[in-house]
Amino acid sequence: MDAVFAPPTQHWTAVSPKLATARRLVLLLVAVPVTAVAVVLASVAGVPGWVTPALAAAALLVVGWLWWLVGRRVRSYGYSERADDLLVTSGILFRRLVVVPYGRMQLVDVVAGPLDRALGITTVQLHTAAATTDAAIPGLPPAEAVALRDRLAAVGEQRSAGL
Amino acid sequence: MTLSAATTPRRTHPSSVWVSVLRSIPALLGVLVLIAVQTGGDLPGAAGDGLPRLLAVGAGLLVVGLALSSLGSYLSWSRRVFWFDQAGDLRVDSGVLTRQQRRLALSRLQSVDVHQPLLARIVGMAEVRVEVAGAGDSRVVLQYLTESDAQALRAQVLARAAGLRPDVGTAPERVLVTVPTRDLVVSLLLSSTTLVGTVATVAIVALVVVSEGAVGLVGLLLTGGVPLVAAFNQFVRFFDFTLAESPDGLRLRSGLTSTRTQTVPPGRVHAIEVTEPLLWRRRGWVRVHLTLAGSPGSPGDDDQGTSGVLLPVAPAAVARAVVDRVLPGVGSREFEWRAAPPRARRRAPIQWRELGVAVDADVVATRRGRLVRRLAVVPHARTQSVHLTQGPWERRLGLASLRVDTAPGPVAVVGLRLDAATARAAVDEASTQARRVRAVAGTPRWMSAPSPPPDPAQVPAPDAAPDAAPDAAPGAAPPVAPLD
Repeated sequence: MDAVFAPPTQHWTAVSPKLATARRLVLLLVAVPVTAVAVVLASVAGVPGWVTPALAAAALLVVGWLWWLVGRRVRSYGYSERADDLLVTSGILFRRLVVVPYGRMQLVDVVAGPLDRALGITTVQLHTAAATTDAAIPGLPPAEAVALRDRLAAVGEQRSAGL
Repeated sequence: MTLSAATTPRRTHPSSVWVSVLRSIPALLGVLVLIAVQTGGDLPGAAGDGLPRLLAVGAGLLVVGLALSSLGSYLSWSRRVFWFDQAGDLRVDSGVLTRQQRRLALSRLQSVDVHQPLLARIVGMAEVRVEVAGAGDSRVVLQYLTESDAQALRAQVLARAAGLRPDVGTAPERVLVTVPTRDLVVSLLLSSTTLVGTVATVAIVALVVVSEGAVGLVGLLLTGGVPLVAAFNQFVRFFDFTLAESPDGLRLRSGLTSTRTQTVPPGRVHAIEVTEPLLWRRRGWVRVHLTLAGSPGSPGDDDQGTSGVLLPVAPAAVARAVVDRVLPGVGSREFEWRAAPPRARRRAPIQWRELGVAVDADVVATRRGRLVRRLAVVPHARTQSVHLTQGPWERRLGLASLRVDTAPGPVAVVGLRLDAATARAAVDEASTQARRVRAVAGTPRWMSAPSPPPDPAQVPAPDAAPDAAPDAAPGAAPPVAPLD
């Protein structure tokens, strides 16, 4: 991580590795049926004998690569609470850094899907008056997410600067 | 009358009923024609007397349609009342089956428009649109009032929003700019859209003529119309454009068939963009866009009025003076640009020379675009969040881009393909400056006491209000959001 996306003072607070588990589960949930269907279709269609194993191997390779990528992506998430604003960073190929002042936050969402709940992670989503703000921190343990939300709401109230 | 005096609920003008019925006639006729086309052939009866029958049925349907439309229009008129409540906010109750009660917090007023559609204008009526900050539908449209009533209502909304006595009347105004019709026409003909459209038309027609002979000229009528219609639309919209300044804000007036008067209170401007299309440069013309924190109408939306355009066309010097009015000191400022480095050429081969960002004590400014030069400015007091992004190719070149998020609107404040370290420094600086400015943020009721009066008890006594009025004299500097 080079200086351009370096944290302002301390380290980025990382998100839970369970986020990687959740995303890998989703990956498998999509990849396994698709591969199975492809393999079955290939064998039914009567293609040359080497095609089916090649197909399976290719699928395995792609899934393996995505598996690794998910890990990197999850590790790339980070946030940092400063005195007056929150910084969120993410992405490997396309990297982003968002600075959201507490005074501009209009609402803070805490969202968790069924899989997230089962694994014990939640997403904290920040909204400002700008539709383009798009600052979300996925993969927080529920307790931490709620605490973060309450902290954000409290400082947001204090420093509210209107529009 | 005290500052927060409530008014009694009242309706819009009774003529609204038949004005809206008249306005619905084209749509009714359209539906009838559609029905006629669909069922005309199947009507019972011989082919000979099919037409008279059709006409009779059509007339009958028209009468029924008009009756229904009148009834609906009357009901919705009789159930729509508006008033100012104790807290000084605008309340509107409406709806026949589903009742809606709307309360517009005037402390968050974004703009007040008086709009006269052609038909309403002919009979001397106008509609008033009041818009407050908010996502989604955050406006109220009161149609129709008599012209003078509409003006009075607008003045009252503005006075209440400013924290003045509601009966101070219309603030005096001073015309800043008028756009001559000739300039408007020339600028529209020279606009990139028109040109691209025309070039495309010529290309298409040439292609067709070459392949199919003279028949292709028919294509000219069809495709050639598109750029002309677009330009003509803008002409009708921006005809007789006048920008005036008054203590209650900027007034934007324009329109050929239907006229609009928009009032933007001071300090409501979130971002400004000065655009300079290629073909306007020889004449030194620019167009100025602005972003307000209201619901941004969809691009083709006629309701949009002039919102989004502060000046359709003006010489650069005039535009600078206008920008100075909106964001004091910004228009004439020479920014210290941090330009994109020469290696940005490999990411942005055409526009790299134009790219740059500047951060000073008041604003963030960005520039971009080769064919259409765009200079965007957002005051720190209005920035929402700041983005720094870096794609793979930018990373290879050591570049990064930044974006300052503002309320939704036509202006995008983006600094593209900058040196990565510079971009990060600009982002940090922008957030630091924004923090400093937020700490001294001003009051939403721009004419009243330093702190916003949320309840009537805190509102200055009525006799204190006239003291505030002299500040509103046209000579005084417009009390825009604190920028220094």
